[in-house]
Amino acid sequence: MAVKLGYKNVYRDPLGFPEWQKNGLPVASDPLGLCDYAPEAYSPGRIAGWALVWTLLGIFMGGMALNLTPCVYPIIPITVSYFGGKSGRGRGRLLVHGLLYLAGLAVTNSALGVLAALTGGLMGALLQNPLVLVAVAAILVFFAASLFGFWELRLPGSLTQAASKSYAGYFGSLFMGLTLGLVAAPCIGPFVLGLLTWVASVGSPWLGFLVFFTLSLGLGLPLFILAMFSGSLEKLPRSGEWMLWVRHLMGWVLLAMAAYFIQPLLPEALSLALLAGVALAAAIHLGWLDRSTATFRGFAWLKTAAALAGVIIATFLVGSWAVRGPGVAWQPYSDQVMAQAREDHKPVIIDFYATWCTPCRELDEITFHHPEVVKLAGRDFVMVKVDLTQKDNPVHQRLLSQYAVKGVPTLVFLDRQGKECPSLRLVDYLPPEQVLNRMVAVGKN
Amino acid sequence: MGNRRTTFLALAAVILTLGVLWYIQRPVIPQETTLAEVKAEAVKGGYRLITTEALAELYRQPGAKVLLVDTRQDWEYRSGHIQGAVNFPLEPTAWSRWRSQDRLAALLGPDRDRLVVFY
Repeated sequence: MAVKLGYKNVYRDPLGFPEWQKNGLPVASDPLGLCDYAPEAYSPGRIAGWALVWTLLGIFMGGMALNLTPCVYPIIPITVSYFGGKSGRGRGRLLVHGLLYLAGLAVTNSALGVLAALTGGLMGALLQNPLVLVAVAAILVFFAASLFGFWELRLPGSLTQAASKSYAGYFGSLFMGLTLGLVAAPCIGPFVLGLLTWVASVGSPWLGFLVFFTLSLGLGLPLFILAMFSGSLEKLPRSGEWMLWVRHLMGWVLLAMAAYFIQPLLPEALSLALLAGVALAAAIHLGWLDRSTATFRGFAWLKTAAALAGVIIATFLVGSWAVRGPGVAWQPYSDQVMAQAREDHKPVIIDFYATWCTPCRELDEITFHHPEVVKLAGRDFVMVKVDLTQKDNPVHQRLLSQYAVKGVPTLVFLDRQGKECPSLRLVDYLPPEQVLNRMVAVGKN
Repeated sequence: MGNRRTTFLALAAVILTLGVLWYIQRPVIPQETTLAEVKAEAVKGGYRLITTEALAELYRQPGAKVLLVDTRQDWEYRSGHIQGAVNFPLEPTAWSRWRSQDRLAALLGPDRDRLVVFY
């Protein structure tokens, strides 16, 4: 024991339980009621006091970090062009405009948080909807195309005019923030999915407001600073040809994000190949094909660094997939498999899944690749998978009503007699340790 | 010339990445620790060792006040443990030990002379 607590009569039995059991000494096992064993339900606690302050501080930092994601990128030129027109009228007024802009942005995002708290899980489900994912990916590809120079990103003249003329008052700045919050929300949404789910599970609109208000303050702070100095930006020296290279780099980052977003919609191997392909293509383009030069010496190193980063990411993705240990050996559902399991008195785990569902993937990639889970599953269990990606299979329809499956993922645990243990049923991702708990519980009968 | 340097570095990076991946994912055969190592660790940690027989002796004494602490994972404890033992899952990392020392102190109670056996 590395920890010293001052106890004097401390012993360790290095042979532990296996030896004890071998000698036939009294043992006990838990749970005795087996199927009735109710695993500790995860309940998100309400937080208060200092814990709340620290959590909010973390969320504020997270909001600032969101500026590094390309989602915010389209907002930057709009902010600059909007506030560039206002900079002539003194610092004080500009400050008020900037604050109102920030407030507008915060109100939209906070509304999102309150909505999430009120509607429960609905919001999170919406953000996992394939259509939303495709739309976000499409927007990212669209902006990437602009960065590669296929078309020029220019705001419609009417919008710029409206921004600088008719809404010139303080209300204009607030309105600008409100609308930009609306534009950015679906794009930022997937990044804050975890936060949304947490707020939804706590179910307090007040907390939802506070969390997302803090997040947007963090998100808006760099934009606010940008707005303050938007007038001076024009005085910066003209950038050279190397800026083109930076634009290409940004374009590749956007494409990678798009590939990341549509990952849940593709089979695992394909989505991995897509991500690795984007990384490799980016490396080749930025490191070798792009002929941009710059006057400063560091640029050649910058190009090399980008090429190396792309190559390493691609190798890492493909390599870690290739050397990953074996997973659980699943069987497709069939009545014979179930009958055989009952005859052998083996417990069964039925996994209802779909390729587009993220928690299903996590279950498969993390939990069902954990060495202990794989060992136990291979020795004692019959593992059955039901793929619900296509809905119109009569056998699957029967199973859905038989086991009252409401969505994916659903893991159903059947004991040795083929009876379900309803208290063990799983409808979300769980780490390997907790799934092992359930497997031990159901395997005992 | 710049391109050749980039190519060379990229190849080196690929080889290095594959090497690191292989190194961290390679199958490790759990090592049998020798008795001498266990003893040395006990001296360093300031605790004594007990054999299964001696523990069984203590365990059978009427009115024995021995506290048995099972430091294995939750699911291992559930699948079978010494009757009367309490479960206190500890991962064998310094971080895990440091983090759970307050809870451990609460579990063991204020009596510093109490007989405690970990396994």
